[in-house]
Amino acid sequence: MKRRYEDVSLTWIPVLIVAIFLLPFMLKGMTFSYKYYLFVLNMAGIYIILTVGLDLLSGYTGLISLGHSAFLAIGAYTSAILVDQVGIPFILSLFISPLIVGLFGLLIGFPALRITGMYLGLTTMGFGFIVKRLIIAFRVWTQGAGGLEVSHPVILGFSFNSDWDNYYLIFTCAIIAVIAGRRIGKSKIGRALMAIRDSEQAAEATGVHLAKYKMLVFFISGLFAGVAGVLFAHTSHFISTDHFDILLSIYFIIMVLVGGASSIYGAVLGTLFIVLLDFLFVPQLKEVIQGMFNIESGDIQSLLFGLIMFLFIIFHPTGLYGMWLKMKIYWKLFPFNPKKRLI
Amino acid sequence: MTELLTGLLQETVSGIALGCIYALIALGFTLIIKATEVVNFAQGELMMVGAYVNFFFVTTFLSNQGEPTIGIYLLAFGSSIIFAVAFGWILDWVINRPLKDEPIFSVIMATISLSIILRALVGMIAGPLSLVPYSPFGNKILSVGGIVISVLDLSIIFSAIILVILFYYFFNQTKWGVAMQATSEDSVAAQLMGIPVKRVYGLVWIFSAIVATISGILLAPRMSLLDTSMGFLGLKAFPAAVLGGFGSITGAIAGGIIMGVIETISMGTLSFHFEWIKEMNDIIVWIVLIAVLMVKPDGLFGEAKVKKV
Repeated sequence: MKRRYEDVSLTWIPVLIVAIFLLPFMLKGMTFSYKYYLFVLNMAGIYIILTVGLDLLSGYTGLISLGHSAFLAIGAYTSAILVDQVGIPFILSLFISPLIVGLFGLLIGFPALRITGMYLGLTTMGFGFIVKRLIIAFRVWTQGAGGLEVSHPVILGFSFNSDWDNYYLIFTCAIIAVIAGRRIGKSKIGRALMAIRDSEQAAEATGVHLAKYKMLVFFISGLFAGVAGVLFAHTSHFISTDHFDILLSIYFIIMVLVGGASSIYGAVLGTLFIVLLDFLFVPQLKEVIQGMFNIESGDIQSLLFGLIMFLFIIFHPTGLYGMWLKMKIYWKLFPFNPKKRLI
Repeated sequence: MTELLTGLLQETVSGIALGCIYALIALGFTLIIKATEVVNFAQGELMMVGAYVNFFFVTTFLSNQGEPTIGIYLLAFGSSIIFAVAFGWILDWVINRPLKDEPIFSVIMATISLSIILRALVGMIAGPLSLVPYSPFGNKILSVGGIVISVLDLSIIFSAIILVILFYYFFNQTKWGVAMQATSEDSVAAQLMGIPVKRVYGLVWIFSAIVATISGILLAPRMSLLDTSMGFLGLKAFPAAVLGGFGSITGAIAGGIIMGVIETISMGTLSFHFEWIKEMNDIIVWIVLIAVLMVKPDGLFGEAKVKKV
C-alpha cells in the first residue's frame, strides 16, 4: 500500500496518547487541587479543537478570521437547543451541530471569495457582533442575554457528570481533531491551501480551484469550531452570549500565532501555552501587582496576552513551534553548527 | 406627518455630529493607510487615550485653580496635543518601523494587540470606575425652528470642518504635505526624489495621533461617561470608512457622516416604528459593512483597485 505522506517518526504518538489518558491519575496523585487542573485542561482541550480549525483557515490559507468565537457560539447554542429542546441524543448532536456550523462557515466563505486581507477581518468581526446580537434576539429558544442552562453529555446511557469524565470525552475529540487536522494539512487540500496563501494567482494558474478550496476551508474550520462549541456547551452546563465576545476571537488568533501559524502542533502548543498562562499564572500575577503597586489590576490578562502577541510578531514570527524546530536543528548538528541562521 | 419630518431632521442633525466623530477617526487611520499601508486597528484606543489624557490635564490644572475657566480648557487642550505628538512619534518607532514589510496578517494582529494593551493599561492606571468628563459647553442647547441642537454637537461639527480644511490646506499647499502625497503614491520613487520617507512616516503617525486626540476630547463629553470601552467606537469607524471608500480621505469623511446619520435614524424613528429594528441597533453598522462589501467593495468614493500580478 502506498503511504500518503512520510512522517519522520510516528512511534511517539501512541506514547503521547497513553500519557494523556494517564495524566488525570498522575495529577490526582500529585496535588489535592487536581480538579481545578482538570478543569483548566478541559478548557485547553476544547480550545485546541477550535484552534486546529482556525489554523487551517488562518495559518494555512492566510484568511484572517476575527469572529471565530461566533462559530463557537453557534455550535454551543445549536447543540443546547437540539439536545434539550428538540430531544436529540448528545452523540447525534455531536455530529449534526458541527455540520450546521460548517454551513455558517460557508455563509462567511461566500463573501470571502471576493474580499481578502483587512476587509475579511472586518467582515468576520462584524459576523461575530451580528451573531451575538441575533442569539439575544431569538430569545424564544436561547433565553436572550440571560444565558441558557445545558444538560450533561450522555452517551449510551453513561452520563458525564464531572470534570474527570469530561476530560476523557474532550481529549478523545481533541486527539481525533489534531490527527485529522494534521492529515488535512499534509494532504492535497493542505498543499492547495498553502499555495493560495502564498499567491492566489500562482495557485490558480497551477490548477487550484480557488473558490472550491476557500469554501472548503471555511466549512472545515466551521466543523472544528462546531465540535468545540458542542463540547463547550455540554461540559460547562451554562452558556451566555457574554462569553463569546470579540476578545475571545482575538485570543484564538493569538493562540494560533503564538504557537506558530501553519503548523497544527504549533496551534496545540500555543493554545496550551495561553490557556495555562491564563488560568494558572495570571491570578498569581494579579495578586503580585496588587501587592506591589496597590492598584486595581483590572485587565492584566489582555495586557499580558497583547504584549506576548506583539513581541512574538516582531521578534519571532514563527512562534513556539518555530523555536522548537530551531532547537531541534541546533542539536542535530550540534558541534558543527553553521554561523548562519537556518530558520 | 410634520412630527415625523421634524424627528427625522432632528436625528439627521445629531447623526451628523456623531458622524463627524466617525469621520475624524476614519481620517486618522486613512492618513496612515495611505502613506504606510499599515491598517491601524488601535485608532479608537488612541482616541480613548487622548480623552483620558485631556481629563487628567483638566483635573490637574483645576486642583491648582479651583474654578474651571476657558483658559484651563485651552491649556489642557494644548497639553494633550503635545502629548499626542510625543505619543505618535513613539508609535512610529514601536509599530510602524518594525512592521514595514510584514504581511498584512501580522500588521493587523500587531495593531489589535496594541489596542488591547492600551485598553488594559489605561484601565489599570485610571482605575475601574467610569469618570465624568468636563465640558466647556455644559448642557447648553440651541433651538432652531423646533429642532434642538446641543452646543456640544455644534462644537464637534465645527471642529471637524476646521480640521478637514486645515488638512486640505496642508496636503495641497505645503511642502511637507506634497511630500506626504508623493510618499503615499510611491514610496521608493519618493525616496529617490530626495524625500525623507522615514520622517514623513513619523509625521503621518503624529498627525494621526493628533486627530485621534482631538476627536477623543470632543467625544468624551458627548458620551457623558468616560471609560475604556470608548475604544470600541473606533471599530465602528472602519465600516464607515469602507462605506465611503477605504483609503480615500473624501470617502472617510463622507462615509463617517453617512454612517452616523444611518445609525441615529435607525435608533430613533425606525426603532420607534419597527419593533425588530430595536434589536439591531448596535449591529446596523456591521450589516451596512457586509452589504457594501457584497455590492460595491470600493465604496462610494473609492477608486477601483486593479491588482497587478
